[in-house]
Amino acid sequence: MTVAEAQATPRFAIGTRVRVQTTCPEGSPRTPLYVRGKRGIVTAVHGAIANPLDHRGIYPPLYSVLFTVGEVFGGASSDTLSVDVHEDWLEPA
Amino acid sequence: MTQPAVSAHAHILDPESHVHAVEEDLEYWRTKRLEPRVFLLHRRGVLTLYDLLQAATRLPRVAPGDRSTGSLEERIRALEDGLDEYVRGIALVSLDLPGYDYVIDDTRKERGDYDAFFRISKPSHEGTLEERVARLEEQLRDYSWLLRVLTQALLDKGLLSAERLAAERQRQAGRGAWNGARIVARAWVDPAFKEALLTQGREAVRALDIPPGRLGKLGVAENTATLHNVVVCTLCSCYPHDLLGDPPWWYRSDQYKQQIVRDPRGTLARLFGLTLPEQMEVRVHDSTSDVRWMVLPRRPAGTEGWSEEELAQLVTIESLVGVAEPRAPEEVRRREAAP
Repeated sequence: MTVAEAQATPRFAIGTRVRVQTTCPEGSPRTPLYVRGKRGIVTAVHGAIANPLDHRGIYPPLYSVLFTVGEVFGGASSDTLSVDVHEDWLEPA
Repeated sequence: MTQPAVSAHAHILDPESHVHAVEEDLEYWRTKRLEPRVFLLHRRGVLTLYDLLQAATRLPRVAPGDRSTGSLEERIRALEDGLDEYVRGIALVSLDLPGYDYVIDDTRKERGDYDAFFRISKPSHEGTLEERVARLEEQLRDYSWLLRVLTQALLDKGLLSAERLAAERQRQAGRGAWNGARIVARAWVDPAFKEALLTQGREAVRALDIPPGRLGKLGVAENTATLHNVVVCTLCSCYPHDLLGDPPWWYRSDQYKQQIVRDPRGTLARLFGLTLPEQMEVRVHDSTSDVRWMVLPRRPAGTEGWSEEELAQLVTIESLVGVAEPRAPEEVRRREAAP
Protein backbone atom coordinates (compact mmCIF):
# COMPACT_ATOMS: atom_id res chain seq x y z
CA MET A 1 0.00 0.00 0.00
CA THR A 2 1.25 3.48 -0.82
CA VAL A 3 0.65 6.58 1.31
CA ALA A 4 -1.80 7.88 -1.32
CA GLU A 5 -3.81 4.65 -1.30
CA ALA A 6 -3.92 4.53 2.46
CA GLN A 7 -5.06 8.15 2.64
CA ALA A 8 -7.77 7.74 0.04
CA THR A 9 -10.11 6.09 2.53
CA PRO A 10 -10.22 7.88 5.91
CA ARG A 11 -13.36 6.51 7.53
CA PHE A 12 -13.70 8.84 10.50
CA ALA A 13 -13.96 12.62 10.75
CA ILE A 14 -13.09 14.88 13.67
CA GLY A 15 -15.81 14.64 16.31
CA THR A 16 -16.78 11.04 15.47
CA ARG A 17 -17.38 8.76 18.44
CA VAL A 18 -15.35 5.60 18.06
CA ARG A 19 -14.61 2.43 19.95
CA VAL A 20 -11.22 0.70 19.93
CA GLN A 21 -11.50 -2.99 19.08
CA THR A 22 -10.37 -5.49 21.68
CA THR A 23 -8.22 -7.37 19.21
CA CYS A 24 -7.12 -6.80 15.65
CA PRO A 25 -5.09 -9.73 14.37
CA GLU A 26 -3.58 -7.90 11.42
CA GLY A 27 -3.49 -4.49 13.06
CA SER A 28 -0.56 -2.31 14.04
CA PRO A 29 0.88 -3.58 17.32
CA ARG A 30 1.07 -0.03 18.64
CA THR A 31 -2.33 0.16 20.29
CA PRO A 32 -1.84 0.13 24.06
CA LEU A 33 -3.77 -2.48 26.03
CA TYR A 34 -5.45 0.08 28.27
CA VAL A 35 -7.58 1.63 25.49
CA ARG A 36 -8.72 -1.62 23.92
CA GLY A 37 -12.50 -1.86 24.04
CA LYS A 38 -12.80 1.79 25.19
CA ARG A 39 -14.83 4.62 23.66
CA GLY A 40 -13.45 7.99 22.64
CA ILE A 41 -13.80 10.89 20.23
CA VAL A 42 -11.66 11.57 17.16
CA THR A 43 -9.83 14.89 17.66
CA ALA A 44 -7.35 14.77 14.78
CA VAL A 45 -6.99 12.96 11.46
CA HIS A 46 -3.31 12.46 10.68
CA GLY A 47 -3.72 10.33 7.56
CA ALA A 48 -1.21 7.71 6.54
CA ILE A 49 2.31 8.65 7.58
CA ALA A 50 5.42 7.44 5.84
CA ASN A 51 7.86 6.50 8.61
CA PRO A 52 10.38 4.12 7.08
CA LEU A 53 12.88 4.56 9.94
CA ASP A 54 10.33 3.18 12.37
CA HIS A 55 8.59 0.36 10.55
CA ARG A 56 8.18 -1.38 7.22
CA GLY A 57 5.27 -0.59 4.94
CA ILE A 58 2.53 1.97 5.49
CA TYR A 59 0.09 1.65 8.36
CA PRO A 60 -3.60 2.59 7.79
CA PRO A 61 -4.65 6.22 8.47
CA LEU A 62 -3.93 7.43 11.99
CA TYR A 63 -6.29 9.34 14.30
CA SER A 64 -5.85 11.04 17.67
CA VAL A 65 -8.64 9.71 19.87
CA LEU A 66 -9.55 11.44 23.12
CA PHE A 67 -10.67 9.37 26.12
CA THR A 68 -11.45 10.40 29.65
CA VAL A 69 -9.37 8.77 32.38
CA GLY A 70 -12.72 7.79 33.94
CA GLU A 71 -13.77 5.86 30.80
CA VAL A 72 -10.47 4.04 30.58
CA PHE A 73 -9.58 3.30 34.19
CA GLY A 74 -12.84 4.00 36.03
CA GLY A 75 -13.37 6.68 38.66
CA ALA A 76 -14.52 10.24 38.32
CA SER A 77 -11.42 11.91 36.87
CA SER A 78 -12.13 14.38 34.09
CA ASP A 79 -8.50 14.37 32.96
CA THR A 80 -8.09 13.11 29.41
CA LEU A 81 -5.90 10.75 27.41
CA SER A 82 -5.11 11.43 23.77
CA VAL A 83 -4.02 8.21 22.10
CA ASP A 84 -3.05 7.81 18.46
CA VAL A 85 -4.86 4.82 16.97
CA HIS A 86 -4.83 3.41 13.45
CA GLU A 87 -8.05 3.07 11.49
CA ASP A 88 -8.09 -0.75 11.42
CA TRP A 89 -8.45 -0.74 15.21
CA LEU A 90 -11.45 1.60 15.24
CA GLU A 91 -15.17 1.10 14.76
CA PRO A 92 -18.07 3.59 15.11
CA ALA A 93 -19.39 3.76 18.69
CA MET B 1 11.57 13.06 40.11
CA THR B 2 13.50 15.96 38.72
CA GLN B 3 17.19 15.62 39.25
CA PRO B 4 18.68 18.55 41.10
CA ALA B 5 20.36 20.80 38.58
CA VAL B 6 24.08 20.50 39.24
CA SER B 7 27.01 21.96 37.43
CA ALA B 8 30.22 19.97 37.18
CA HIS B 9 31.54 21.65 40.33
CA ALA B 10 28.47 21.76 42.51
CA HIS B 11 27.87 19.15 45.20
CA ILE B 12 25.34 16.40 44.61
CA LEU B 13 22.47 17.37 46.90
CA ASP B 14 20.52 14.14 46.76
CA PRO B 15 22.84 11.19 45.99
CA GLU B 16 19.98 8.66 46.24
CA SER B 17 18.07 10.26 43.37
CA HIS B 18 21.23 10.34 41.23
CA VAL B 19 21.95 6.67 41.89
CA HIS B 20 18.32 5.75 41.20
CA ALA B 21 18.46 7.62 37.90
CA VAL B 22 21.64 5.80 36.84
CA GLU B 23 20.14 2.42 37.79
CA GLU B 24 16.99 3.02 35.75
CA ASP B 25 18.74 4.51 32.77
CA LEU B 26 21.55 1.97 32.59
CA GLU B 27 19.11 -0.95 32.58
CA TYR B 28 16.94 0.78 30.00
CA TRP B 29 19.83 1.17 27.60
CA ARG B 30 21.11 -2.37 28.20
CA THR B 31 17.78 -4.22 27.93
CA LYS B 32 15.99 -1.98 25.44
CA ARG B 33 18.76 -0.88 23.14
CA LEU B 34 22.07 -2.72 23.26
CA GLU B 35 21.18 -6.36 23.92
CA PRO B 36 18.18 -6.49 21.54
CA ARG B 37 20.56 -5.14 18.89
CA VAL B 38 23.03 -7.95 19.61
CA PHE B 39 20.27 -10.56 19.37
CA LEU B 40 18.89 -9.07 16.15
CA LEU B 41 22.27 -9.02 14.45
CA HIS B 42 22.87 -12.62 15.52
CA ARG B 43 19.42 -13.76 14.39
CA ARG B 44 19.92 -12.20 10.96
CA GLY B 45 23.45 -13.55 10.65
CA VAL B 46 24.85 -10.06 10.13
CA LEU B 47 27.15 -10.32 13.13
CA THR B 48 27.04 -13.49 15.19
CA LEU B 49 27.91 -14.29 18.79
CA TYR B 50 31.02 -16.02 17.42
CA ASP B 51 32.16 -12.77 15.83
CA LEU B 52 31.80 -11.18 19.25
CA LEU B 53 33.87 -13.92 20.90
CA GLN B 54 36.63 -13.35 18.36
CA ALA B 55 36.70 -9.63 19.03
CA ALA B 56 36.50 -10.15 22.80
CA THR B 57 39.78 -12.03 22.96
CA ARG B 58 41.60 -8.85 22.03
CA LEU B 59 39.85 -6.38 24.33
CA PRO B 60 40.34 -5.94 28.09
CA ARG B 61 37.27 -5.89 30.32
CA VAL B 62 38.30 -2.75 32.15
CA ALA B 63 37.93 0.37 30.09
CA PRO B 64 40.60 3.07 29.97
CA GLY B 65 39.67 5.69 32.55
CA ASP B 66 37.59 3.19 34.53
CA ARG B 67 37.75 3.94 38.23
CA SER B 68 35.87 2.98 41.33
CA THR B 69 37.90 4.94 43.85
CA GLY B 70 37.39 8.29 45.53
CA SER B 71 34.50 9.67 47.56
CA LEU B 72 31.01 8.35 47.02
CA GLU B 73 30.13 11.59 45.27
CA GLU B 74 33.06 11.25 42.87
CA ARG B 75 32.10 7.67 42.17
CA ILE B 76 28.50 8.66 41.39
CA ARG B 77 29.77 11.32 39.00
CA ALA B 78 32.05 8.78 37.33
CA LEU B 79 29.03 6.49 36.93
CA GLU B 80 27.01 9.29 35.33
CA ASP B 81 29.86 10.03 32.93
CA GLY B 82 30.28 6.33 32.17
CA LEU B 83 26.55 6.02 31.49
CA ASP B 84 26.68 8.99 29.09
CA GLU B 85 29.55 7.36 27.25
CA TYR B 86 27.63 4.06 27.15
CA VAL B 87 24.56 5.75 25.69
CA ARG B 88 26.58 7.56 23.03
CA GLY B 89 28.34 4.31 22.16
CA ILE B 90 25.04 2.49 21.72
CA ALA B 91 23.92 5.11 19.20
CA LEU B 92 27.07 4.33 17.20
CA VAL B 93 26.50 0.57 17.05
CA SER B 94 22.84 1.19 16.15
CA LEU B 95 23.66 2.83 12.82
CA ASP B 96 22.34 1.26 9.65
CA LEU B 97 24.52 -1.55 8.41
CA PRO B 98 25.04 -2.90 4.93
CA GLY B 99 23.23 -6.18 4.33
CA TYR B 100 20.51 -5.59 6.87
CA ASP B 101 17.41 -3.50 6.26
CA TYR B 102 16.79 -2.29 9.81
CA VAL B 103 13.76 -0.42 11.19
CA ILE B 104 13.19 0.73 14.79
CA ASP B 105 10.21 -1.59 15.15
CA ASP B 106 12.53 -4.63 14.86
CA THR B 107 14.14 -3.61 18.15
CA ARG B 108 10.74 -3.08 19.76
CA LYS B 109 9.70 -6.61 18.83
CA GLU B 110 13.02 -8.10 19.87
CA ARG B 111 12.94 -6.50 23.32
CA GLY B 112 9.33 -7.42 24.07
CA ASP B 113 7.39 -4.15 23.70
CA TYR B 114 4.58 -6.16 22.10
CA ASP B 115 5.16 -9.53 23.74
CA ALA B 116 6.33 -9.92 27.33
CA PHE B 117 7.94 -13.28 26.46
CA PHE B 118 10.86 -11.44 24.87
CA ARG B 119 11.58 -9.05 27.72
CA ILE B 120 15.09 -9.12 29.09
CA SER B 121 15.02 -9.31 32.87
CA LYS B 122 16.58 -6.60 34.99
CA PRO B 123 18.52 -6.99 38.25
CA SER B 124 17.16 -5.60 41.50
CA HIS B 125 18.75 -2.58 43.14
CA GLU B 126 18.75 -3.39 46.84
CA GLY B 127 21.16 -2.48 49.60
CA THR B 128 22.84 0.59 50.97
CA LEU B 129 23.81 3.44 48.70
CA GLU B 130 27.44 2.27 48.91
CA GLU B 131 26.49 -1.25 47.82
CA ARG B 132 24.33 0.05 44.99
CA VAL B 133 27.15 2.23 43.70
CA ALA B 134 29.59 -0.71 43.83
CA ARG B 135 27.10 -2.91 41.97
CA LEU B 136 26.56 -0.24 39.33
CA GLU B 137 30.31 0.08 38.79
CA GLU B 138 30.53 -3.66 38.20
CA GLN B 139 27.52 -3.64 35.85
CA LEU B 140 28.74 -0.64 33.90
CA ARG B 141 32.10 -2.40 33.42
CA ASP B 142 30.39 -5.53 32.08
CA TYR B 143 27.87 -3.69 29.93
CA SER B 144 30.51 -1.35 28.48
CA TRP B 145 32.72 -4.30 27.72
CA LEU B 146 30.01 -5.87 25.59
CA LEU B 147 29.53 -2.53 23.85
CA ARG B 148 33.26 -2.23 23.10
CA VAL B 149 33.37 -5.80 21.86
CA LEU B 150 30.39 -5.21 19.60
CA THR B 151 31.90 -2.01 18.21
CA GLN B 152 35.20 -3.79 17.56
CA ALA B 153 33.46 -6.72 15.89
CA LEU B 154 31.53 -4.35 13.59
CA LEU B 155 34.82 -2.70 12.61
CA ASP B 156 36.58 -6.07 12.17
CA LYS B 157 33.84 -7.30 9.87
CA GLY B 158 33.89 -4.10 7.85
CA LEU B 159 30.27 -3.29 8.73
CA LEU B 160 31.30 0.06 10.20
CA SER B 161 34.30 2.21 9.33
CA ALA B 162 36.37 4.29 11.72
CA GLU B 163 35.57 7.35 9.59
CA ARG B 164 31.84 6.78 9.90
CA LEU B 165 32.13 6.42 13.68
CA ALA B 166 34.07 9.68 13.92
CA ALA B 167 31.53 11.52 11.75
CA GLU B 168 28.64 10.20 13.82
CA ARG B 169 30.28 11.30 17.11
CA GLN B 170 30.56 14.77 15.61
CA ARG B 171 26.88 14.76 14.70
CA GLN B 172 25.82 13.59 18.16
CA ALA B 173 27.52 16.58 19.75
CA GLY B 174 25.45 19.03 17.72
CA ARG B 175 21.92 18.25 18.80
CA GLY B 176 20.07 18.69 22.01
CA ALA B 177 17.34 20.21 24.07
CA TRP B 178 18.43 23.69 23.00
CA ASN B 179 16.63 23.05 19.69
CA GLY B 180 13.38 22.60 21.62
CA ALA B 181 13.97 25.81 23.54
CA ARG B 182 14.58 27.75 20.33
CA ILE B 183 11.44 26.32 18.72
CA VAL B 184 9.31 27.34 21.72
CA ALA B 185 10.83 30.82 21.96
CA ARG B 186 10.16 31.46 18.27
CA ALA B 187 6.56 30.26 18.64
CA TRP B 188 6.11 32.72 21.55
CA VAL B 189 7.21 35.73 19.52
CA ASP B 190 6.04 34.80 16.01
CA PRO B 191 2.35 33.85 15.55
CA ALA B 192 2.87 32.78 11.92
CA PHE B 193 5.65 30.40 12.97
CA LYS B 194 3.47 29.06 15.78
CA GLU B 195 0.65 28.37 13.35
CA ALA B 196 3.03 26.55 11.00
CA LEU B 197 4.48 24.57 13.91
CA LEU B 198 1.05 23.46 15.13
CA THR B 199 -0.18 22.47 11.68
CA GLN B 200 2.93 21.30 9.82
CA GLY B 201 5.27 20.32 12.67
CA ARG B 202 8.63 19.30 11.34
CA GLU B 203 8.55 21.40 8.16
CA ALA B 204 8.23 24.55 10.27
CA VAL B 205 11.49 24.11 12.19
CA ARG B 206 13.53 24.57 9.04
CA ALA B 207 12.93 28.29 9.58
CA LEU B 208 15.31 27.99 12.55
CA ASP B 209 17.95 26.07 10.57
CA ILE B 210 17.15 22.99 12.62
CA PRO B 211 17.20 19.77 10.61
CA PRO B 212 13.59 18.48 10.76
CA GLY B 213 14.52 14.84 11.32
CA ARG B 214 12.68 11.90 9.85
CA LEU B 215 10.85 10.11 12.66
CA GLY B 216 7.27 10.32 11.45
CA LYS B 217 5.17 13.38 12.19
CA LEU B 218 5.85 15.97 14.90
CA GLY B 219 2.81 16.61 17.08
CA VAL B 220 2.81 19.87 19.04
CA ALA B 221 0.36 20.13 21.95
CA GLU B 222 -0.21 23.75 22.94
CA ASN B 223 -0.84 24.65 26.57
CA THR B 224 -3.53 27.27 27.15
CA ALA B 225 -5.25 28.90 30.11
CA THR B 226 -7.66 25.94 30.26
CA LEU B 227 -5.57 23.02 28.97
CA HIS B 228 -2.30 21.53 30.23
CA ASN B 229 -0.62 18.87 28.08
CA VAL B 230 1.75 16.08 29.11
CA VAL B 231 3.60 13.61 26.90
CA VAL B 232 4.40 9.95 27.52
CA CYS B 233 5.07 6.85 25.45
CA THR B 234 3.64 3.89 27.33
CA LEU B 235 4.67 1.25 24.76
CA CYS B 236 8.33 2.17 24.57
CA SER B 237 9.76 5.67 24.88
CA CYS B 238 9.01 7.48 21.62
CA TYR B 239 10.08 11.09 21.71
CA PRO B 240 11.09 13.45 18.88
CA HIS B 241 14.72 12.88 19.89
CA ASP B 242 15.99 13.36 16.36
CA LEU B 243 14.77 16.94 16.77
CA LEU B 244 14.97 17.68 20.49
CA GLY B 245 17.73 15.42 21.79
CA ASP B 246 17.15 13.01 24.65
CA PRO B 247 14.13 13.25 26.95
CA PRO B 248 14.63 13.40 30.73
CA TRP B 249 15.90 10.07 32.13
CA TRP B 250 12.66 9.22 33.97
CA TYR B 251 10.68 9.48 30.69
CA ARG B 252 11.73 5.88 30.08
CA SER B 253 10.86 4.63 33.58
CA ASP B 254 7.92 2.29 34.10
CA GLN B 255 6.86 4.31 37.13
CA TYR B 256 6.26 7.41 35.03
CA LYS B 257 4.57 5.53 32.17
CA GLN B 258 2.18 3.62 34.40
CA GLN B 259 1.22 6.44 36.75
CA ILE B 260 0.81 9.36 34.36
CA VAL B 261 -1.98 7.73 32.34
CA ARG B 262 -3.89 6.41 35.38
CA ASP B 263 -3.79 9.64 37.35
CA PRO B 264 -2.40 12.53 35.30
CA ARG B 265 -3.15 15.35 37.73
CA GLY B 266 -2.10 13.41 40.82
CA THR B 267 1.12 12.18 39.22
CA LEU B 268 2.15 15.69 38.21
CA ALA B 269 1.66 16.84 41.80
CA ARG B 270 3.22 13.79 43.45
CA LEU B 271 6.26 13.17 41.27
CA PHE B 272 6.95 16.63 39.95
CA GLY B 273 5.46 19.07 42.44
CA LEU B 274 3.27 20.63 39.72
CA THR B 275 -0.19 21.47 41.04
CA LEU B 276 -2.70 22.66 38.46
CA PRO B 277 -6.00 24.48 39.04
CA GLU B 278 -9.10 22.24 39.30
CA GLN B 279 -10.76 23.84 36.27
CA MET B 280 -7.75 23.25 33.99
CA GLU B 281 -8.00 20.10 31.87
CA VAL B 282 -4.96 17.84 32.06
CA ARG B 283 -4.45 15.91 28.82
CA VAL B 284 -1.89 13.15 28.42
CA HIS B 285 -0.65 12.43 24.90
CA ASP B 286 0.52 8.85 24.56
CA SER B 287 2.96 8.73 21.65
CA THR B 288 1.57 5.44 20.45
CA SER B 289 2.47 5.56 16.80
CA ASP B 290 3.82 7.76 14.02
CA VAL B 291 3.19 11.10 15.72
CA ARG B 292 5.92 12.07 18.17
CA TRP B 293 4.64 14.67 20.59
CA MET B 294 6.13 17.71 22.31
CA VAL B 295 4.45 20.32 24.49
CA LEU B 296 4.39 24.01 23.63
CA PRO B 297 4.36 25.58 27.11
CA ARG B 298 2.72 28.92 27.89
CA ARG B 299 4.90 32.00 27.82
CA PRO B 300 5.46 33.17 31.40
CA ALA B 301 4.00 36.52 32.40
CA GLY B 302 6.50 39.31 32.94
CA THR B 303 8.60 38.52 29.86
CA GLU B 304 7.28 41.30 27.63
CA GLY B 305 10.03 42.66 25.43
CA TRP B 306 12.42 39.76 26.04
CA SER B 307 14.57 38.63 23.13
CA GLU B 308 14.12 35.15 21.63
CA GLU B 309 17.48 34.15 23.06
CA GLU B 310 16.42 35.19 26.57
CA LEU B 311 13.04 33.48 26.22
CA ALA B 312 14.70 30.25 25.13
CA GLN B 313 16.53 30.14 28.46
CA LEU B 314 13.18 29.75 30.21
CA VAL B 315 12.47 26.47 28.43
CA THR B 316 13.55 23.21 30.10
CA ILE B 317 13.29 19.63 28.81
CA GLU B 318 10.78 19.03 31.61
CA SER B 319 8.57 21.81 30.22
CA LEU B 320 8.79 20.25 26.73
CA VAL B 321 7.33 17.03 28.17
CA GLY B 322 4.76 19.00 30.21
CA VAL B 323 5.70 17.98 33.75
CA ALA B 324 6.88 21.49 34.64
CA GLU B 325 6.17 25.08 33.73
CA PRO B 326 9.00 27.04 32.10
CA ARG B 327 11.52 28.63 34.48
CA ALA B 328 10.45 31.70 36.38
CA PRO B 329 11.61 34.88 34.59
CA GLU B 330 13.32 36.13 37.77
CA GLU B 331 15.47 33.01 37.80
CA VAL B 332 16.92 33.69 34.38
CA ARG B 333 17.36 37.43 34.87
CA ARG B 334 18.92 36.89 38.32
CA ARG B 335 21.41 34.46 36.87
CA GLU B 336 22.39 36.95 34.20
CA ALA B 337 22.85 39.66 36.79
CA ALA B 338 25.10 37.46 38.93
CA PRO B 339 28.84 37.92 38.40
